[in-house]
Amino acid sequence: MLTMTNVKKVFRTDLVETHALRDFNLQVDEGEFVAVTGPSGSGKTTFLNIAGMLETFNEGTYQLDGEDVSHLNDNQRSKLRNEKIGFIFQSYNLIPDLSLFDNVDVPLRYRGFDAKERKKRIEESLDIVGLANRMKHLPSQLSGGQQQRVAIARALAGNPRFLLADEPTGNLDSAMAQSVMELLKEINKKGTTIVMVTHDPQLATQATRNIFVKDGQVSEINDVVAMHVANG
Amino acid sequence: MLELGPIFRALLRNKIGAILIAVQIAFTMAIIVNAVFIIYDRSQQTKRPSGIDEANTFYINSSGFGDDFDIKGTITRDLEAIRALPGVIDAVQINAIPISGSGWSMGLQTEAGAEHDGQGVAVYMVDEHGIKALDLELLAGENFAKSDIRWRGPAGSKWPAKVIVTEAMAKRLFPELSYSEAVGKTVYINNDEPMIITGIIDKLQAPWVGWDNLDNAMLSPEKMEFQSTRYLIRTVPGMRDQLMKTVEELLAENKSRVIDGMRSIDYVRERSYRGNTAMIKILTTVIVTLTVVTSLGIVGLASFSVNRRKKQIGIRRALGATKASILRYFMVENFLISASGVVLGAALTIALNMLLVSALSIPPLDWFYIPAGMLVLCLVGQAAVFGPAKKATEIAPATATRTV
Repeated sequence: MLTMTNVKKVFRTDLVETHALRDFNLQVDEGEFVAVTGPSGSGKTTFLNIAGMLETFNEGTYQLDGEDVSHLNDNQRSKLRNEKIGFIFQSYNLIPDLSLFDNVDVPLRYRGFDAKERKKRIEESLDIVGLANRMKHLPSQLSGGQQQRVAIARALAGNPRFLLADEPTGNLDSAMAQSVMELLKEINKKGTTIVMVTHDPQLATQATRNIFVKDGQVSEINDVVAMHVANG
Repeated sequence: MLELGPIFRALLRNKIGAILIAVQIAFTMAIIVNAVFIIYDRSQQTKRPSGIDEANTFYINSSGFGDDFDIKGTITRDLEAIRALPGVIDAVQINAIPISGSGWSMGLQTEAGAEHDGQGVAVYMVDEHGIKALDLELLAGENFAKSDIRWRGPAGSKWPAKVIVTEAMAKRLFPELSYSEAVGKTVYINNDEPMIITGIIDKLQAPWVGWDNLDNAMLSPEKMEFQSTRYLIRTVPGMRDQLMKTVEELLAENKSRVIDGMRSIDYVRERSYRGNTAMIKILTTVIVTLTVVTSLGIVGLASFSVNRRKKQIGIRRALGATKASILRYFMVENFLISASGVVLGAALTIALNMLLVSALSIPPLDWFYIPAGMLVLCLVGQAAVFGPAKKATEIAPATATRTV
């Protein structure tokens, strides 16, 4: 599903060279729910950006769904991102001027679906997150948890092969955070692969696998399920 | 994928800036379109031919003084001498200079009597050399004979029996006849003094360039027995400037008069249309300034909106927007603003034109100026927004994951 081999990412300025990822190796299989944890500056977000093709990398190979994405141009990456990846961001990243309906519509329009198909998908995905009755509302009229649900609906509407979540509960209180986690777990159960970056070990344990990133490298891989079973 | 609906709805939620720009576009369009029309109208006006050989013609004024000044003898000798100069095609004593701003006007009517309306006409008093000196073409009838020419005294007010009119004047007088059929017809001047049309000339403009009946002109077979007189001299091409000097020296030999003014017709035209030329320059400046200001307004709004939406653009890129989609988004957004601006602008353009028509006697705008203005303003908008839009495409998709 997602295979990174010896991926290296260096940020250069005139004065410093920062190795955000060094020989980063990771394989995520279909159907997994992987939580990526690690301290600030460890390279979590860089990993997520590269995994989501938001950024390019300097060395190594990255295969997404069997396709080597290392040499794709900007347009090809945009298209692939749109088709295969759903994004969930820490600060929801809804577009404030657009209604919930239009927000969920954004990636579907880039995908080129016709109006009827888009409407069906928007309604279905808002229904999944329980906000179908608020389609005409603006993001500012919703609570944080609801906004994140809209973001999840937007990520789901394109029916992506996997979801990339960047601190999806970082801005939410624990009750709302838990309900978003439940939603993600439900989505994962239905077959969508999820990679979630989080600094919260408590949430991480709810994923099927934990990855710990440190100094731009995968330093430890825990099989949470196995751990649970062993502890259970 | 034009995203018209979402862009429009998003615009409605941030309408102040957009409305201001649309209104600015509307006013710019109203002013620019009317200004362009006035420029065109005025430049066409300036280009109208006077009918005479402007490049090779000049006039010179002579004023005799003293009670014993021999007017008739001086004029006869002057004309003989000038006509004999090498390079002079012909010369004529004349009462007024076409397009110069000052001259004589009378009314001609087809029926005698004060109760009938006359057609205004510019009067040029010339002898049988008039047609050649003015470079006119006789379309029908015949030129004056030497015997037709009479002297008009300073107090004389009776009119000669013959008249030559321009084709335009003949058509005004006899709209139902062809111009050649007007030859032989009797017209009345001063309400009831008959004149027979003996010839039709092609084109000769009146002295007043702003006059509606600029092409109404007549030649009256007369020489003027006035102390102050004026000669119009036509030269072979290239000889005008040299002959101006020669003629001035020639006339100055007679010490009982002064030469008080000598001008080329090129100068006369330039002076008569100076107002138009100045207006064209001012309006061109207005057009350029307004276009620049409006473009800067659009660039400003678009740049502000790109900066304000950096994060949003990053999000769109993350969600699959290509650079082209981002560029298109801003171009379409600007087009929506411009389109509403030019629709309002079309109404304002018409309103302003109506105002100008009534206030400044400018002709009504030709209809095609409106769509052309709308198109141009939209293109200006698209050109202005292109820079900021291109900048927006450079915003990295990874902006979406930055928590700033």
